[in-house]
Amino acid sequence: MKFGIFYELSVPRPFSRANEWLTYHNALEQCRVADELGFDHVWAVEHHFLEEYSHCPAPEVFLTAVAAQTQRIRVGHGAVVCVPEMNNPIRVAERAAALDIISNGRLELGTARSSTWTELGGFCADPDDTKKTWDEFCRVIPQMWTRDDFGWQGARFEMPARNVIPKPFQEPHPPMWVTVTTPGTELDAAERGLGCLGVSAAPFAEQERRTKEYCRRVANCDPVGSFVNDQVHTLNFLYCHEDYRQAAALGLPMVGAFSMSNAHLYFTREAYPTRAYQTLGNAGAALRSRGTPNGSAPR
Amino acid sequence: MISGTASVDELAAGAPEIAAFGTESVRLGGVTGLSLVAELRRPAREAVLPPGLHPIVPPAMSLQAWDVTESPWGAFSAAFVRVVCRSGARARTFCVGAAASTASAVQGLQTQFGFPARHADVSLRRHYDEVGLRVSAESDIGGGGSDGRGKGHDGGGGRGNGVMLSVSALDPDPLSVGDLQHVGSMNLAHTPLGLRLVQVETHHEPSRVERLAARIEAFDAAAWGQPLLDPYWVVSCSVSLEDVEIPAIRFVCDPALPAAEGTERVQ
Repeated sequence: MKFGIFYELSVPRPFSRANEWLTYHNALEQCRVADELGFDHVWAVEHHFLEEYSHCPAPEVFLTAVAAQTQRIRVGHGAVVCVPEMNNPIRVAERAAALDIISNGRLELGTARSSTWTELGGFCADPDDTKKTWDEFCRVIPQMWTRDDFGWQGARFEMPARNVIPKPFQEPHPPMWVTVTTPGTELDAAERGLGCLGVSAAPFAEQERRTKEYCRRVANCDPVGSFVNDQVHTLNFLYCHEDYRQAAALGLPMVGAFSMSNAHLYFTREAYPTRAYQTLGNAGAALRSRGTPNGSAPR
Repeated sequence: MISGTASVDELAAGAPEIAAFGTESVRLGGVTGLSLVAELRRPAREAVLPPGLHPIVPPAMSLQAWDVTESPWGAFSAAFVRVVCRSGARARTFCVGAAASTASAVQGLQTQFGFPARHADVSLRRHYDEVGLRVSAESDIGGGGSDGRGKGHDGGGGRGNGVMLSVSALDPDPLSVGDLQHVGSMNLAHTPLGLRLVQVETHHEPSRVERLAARIEAFDAAAWGQPLLDPYWVVSCSVSLEDVEIPAIRFVCDPALPAAEGTERVQ
């Protein structure tokens, strides 16, 4: 079992440039402390336009600062959005390799496809295509890292043969993951030999179910990379204090506020009917199961 | 977390009255339904919602229209203009305006479910490769028919000729019936419990769902009771063949309070 920390870089209203500066620099300080305390990894998300919820559209920049200010903690790029309107796979491979070099081989690369209309619509991306482009990105990035002469003619990405440089510091390449919020994505992860990056605040029983199914299937996978990453990541909220009551008094409102901000995201399925997005998101379901008729946060 | 900033008193002025909460659901049979989502410009985000509701980012409008074959109110057509929001953690819409084609439907929608309905000509017509929706405040139908076909683009936003709304949608693409999500409506109404947001959750049983490319040809925001609405960016449009059930009201919310504090059970 490894333990890490996970950043959305939430910024409360009212927004100010000073508050955003403080959020980033507080997080960097926490990462330095986590490194000293022995935490294993720090993840930072890629989200766009998600006011309050996440002001972290460039995790590779944040994580480069983390890498430069720490010695041993692994840096998780969790996760790069594999949608061409947001990221070109060549640039993903290049940036990730550079971050792996800067961090002395401490990079973990997560992959994702975005779940909100706020983000996909903002980039004029087609929700029908995101699963397809994610699949293609996952297959080409590790080849860009490991081959000196790589070209591709796929359904949604193509390039003539080039040597994508630099190559990552880790041999053969950094571990790859996929974020799992939509039920069933754990199977996509297992089939491709990708780590199961569970980022949903899902109930324990649901996390256990997904983990069992993932472990059952990953054993017979056809890995997209040079090796199988069969690690499972799960996310839960933790607030530590010497006094239990004080911990609850301080920590629970934070969890409630974050979960409420998640429920207030404009998920793709609500805005755009498509078979590519089957759920409303993650924390909302857990909240609704415990909340009032309108799903207000538990007190 | 942001909340609505609209004056409850001002909103209350146009709110319908529910004299008594009903206990029976209303079933609508043989419904052709149209759902359209469009992004709104930022000034509409908080300003159109009461303090008890929370806007989403980006602000969005959810337009719904029904052409109903069978109902307790007879056959009718109706259209609903709603702002996408959250009540507590729940996805909801706030109904700012509604129109129905018959007096009995107007009365039923107002007095049983608190929809701010008015009488209008509502025409929802589905062809092989095109769907047209047209809502007119007065009978301006003639010449081009009532289905939106043959009508030119209303560069004046619909004002001046009675057209409250005109939508044209093309090229239906079949989806699975489960791919379409419906979000409940919060309707501000004077109720036996006082001025309340009435929580109306419709249950849909679609037999066919198609997604189309749509264009809003005319939209008269003032005619719908909210001049700030400016649906400038169409996100999606779908058409379904379905039966719809509107269950009796179970919950209402104080429009001035967050859902956690202001929600009351009716029955």
